[in-house]
Amino acid sequence: MLELRLVQGSLLKKVLESIKDLVNDANFDCSATGFSLQAMDSSHVALVALLLRSEGFEHYRCDRNISMGMNLTNMAKMLKCAGNDDIITIKADDGSDTVTFMFESPTQDKIADFEMKLMDIDSEHLGIPEAEYHAIVRMPSAEFGRICKDLSSIGDTVVISVTKEGVKFSTRGDIGTANIVCRQNTTVDKPEEATVIEMNEPVSLTFALRYLNSFTKASPLSNTVTISLSSELPVVVEYKIAEMGYVRYYLAPKIEEDEEETKP
Amino acid sequence: MGIKGLMKLLADNAPSGMKEQKFESYFGRKIAIDASMSIYQFLIVVGRSGTEMLTNEAGETTSHLVGMFSRTIRLLEAGIKPVYVFDGKPPDLKKQELAKRYSRREDATDDLAKATESGNKEDIEKFSKRTVKVTPQHNDDCKKLLRLMGVPAVEAPSEAEAQCAALCKAEKVYAVASEDMDSLTFGAPKFLRHLMDPSSKKIPVMEFDISKVLEGLDLSMDQFIDLCILCGCDYCDSIRGIGPQTALKLVRQHGSMESILENINKERYQIPDDWPYEEARRLFKEPLVVTDDEQTELKWAAPDEEGLVNFLVKENGFNIDRVTKAIEKIKTAKNKSSQGRLESFFKPAPVKRKETAHTTEKGAANKKSKAGGSKKKK
Repeated sequence: MLELRLVQGSLLKKVLESIKDLVNDANFDCSATGFSLQAMDSSHVALVALLLRSEGFEHYRCDRNISMGMNLTNMAKMLKCAGNDDIITIKADDGSDTVTFMFESPTQDKIADFEMKLMDIDSEHLGIPEAEYHAIVRMPSAEFGRICKDLSSIGDTVVISVTKEGVKFSTRGDIGTANIVCRQNTTVDKPEEATVIEMNEPVSLTFALRYLNSFTKASPLSNTVTISLSSELPVVVEYKIAEMGYVRYYLAPKIEEDEEETKP
Repeated sequence: MGIKGLMKLLADNAPSGMKEQKFESYFGRKIAIDASMSIYQFLIVVGRSGTEMLTNEAGETTSHLVGMFSRTIRLLEAGIKPVYVFDGKPPDLKKQELAKRYSRREDATDDLAKATESGNKEDIEKFSKRTVKVTPQHNDDCKKLLRLMGVPAVEAPSEAEAQCAALCKAEKVYAVASEDMDSLTFGAPKFLRHLMDPSSKKIPVMEFDISKVLEGLDLSMDQFIDLCILCGCDYCDSIRGIGPQTALKLVRQHGSMESILENINKERYQIPDDWPYEEARRLFKEPLVVTDDEQTELKWAAPDEEGLVNFLVKENGFNIDRVTKAIEKIKTAKNKSSQGRLESFFKPAPVKRKETAHTTEKGAANKKSKAGGSKKKK
């Protein structure tokens, strides 16, 4: 038996919007501690990890660990039918091949039940080791979204480099080049508008903008975004979900060809 | 060719061992391809009408070059790194099969002569396809082309399929691409079908995972080889009356070829007098392949532009515009293959994935929130 009641239903709608473009089908894993998902895009370049901790739900009941395979486009279709102020409850019976989304209007005068078929998905789960990152940048999520969007009109890839000067995003394309530098800035009225750069070592990595742009779909979930970079690791782009968890994206960098040739 | 009826048998009995994948999802992967098989296909299909083939000014066939050139570019453009493996000397056991093919070709040549006389166009087309033969000249041409394109080629001491499988086992390549199911019998850990089908056909790539195939069939690798021999392979005849389904039943029931031969109803199933199953088994299990690092070192280099123009345009009458455009494609493709894959950084989690995944994620989360500082959101 599974029953998860989320008062802030719009949150789940936003979560779905943030992952459905990247992943088609995924398994949602429910345990006593929370509701989570890990899935890769079809080309295995990007990975999304979602966690909604049980404490964030008004009511959370999960008798045993279950994994529910869902088509995210279909799930998004159903959640679109929920009002922004609605309370959403996710329900599933043991051994059932369907999941039910229940939408209650805040005034309790309308209750809607949507039942969706589950699917069998054989997905690979990756173990993500804990790592110390060379540089961690925290900045307003809207700013990051704007930068990715702007740069993708010029080129396909972005070089993100962090030095003590700040974080630089640069690209080049047929029509020319673009460079955007963001400096550390903590003297702002609201803490979420700050740009904070923690650097242990300078780092510079190249990424495909197409993926970063799809990550920025999570901007409505959080005012700030944290970008963690290390020269030997995929970048982590994290949007925290207040009091509940996070949506984290991992993206494999582009590798210089010569480097690869010398590998045994 | 290959193992008779194996494809259907697997689809029915071990569906978990095969999955459809998008062609695009193989970028950055190194893939071994049986070159001789590809060349044969090109000679049959590319630029043929009746008995006429694509030729250069000297009248030598160029179909294989056209095919090899455009297919390799298609793979490179998708970010795939192909390795072509050429056949060496066929094993003695295959000579029987080869002799059969040879006589069929002879027959076809006769038929072709008759058809040409009577002027039946369909027959001409049909029989001329059957007379196709890959010559050492064709192989050498293709090797030269590949070298100029910067694509590695490996010469197998014997069967190319076996060498492909060996490269895959040694993790030199991600998978073997072929239409011939015996790649699985040679034990290629990953095997792709339809990778090289023209994109216009829109057939998804079928990926086979040998360990899952064996799990699905509930057989060991040795038993699987016996099963393939019973189904009918290139090395020895099959037993009359035993098809793939019966073969699977027999192997599951008796466990090994020896025990099957002991227990089988000899009246019903006539075992051929000269049936060298042990030899065939040895060829699948311990085929003649090269494994040392030097000979199998694979390098993808930049294309030799001048060399390609000389070889294709001057010697073989290709259109210069087409060749220069293609060279551009190869160069842009080199950029694309540099995208890394997540698997090269993160390894698949162990089976008890839920607990482990959670603890690591939590740990990271705690550290992050410390590092990230202020947590005021919304």
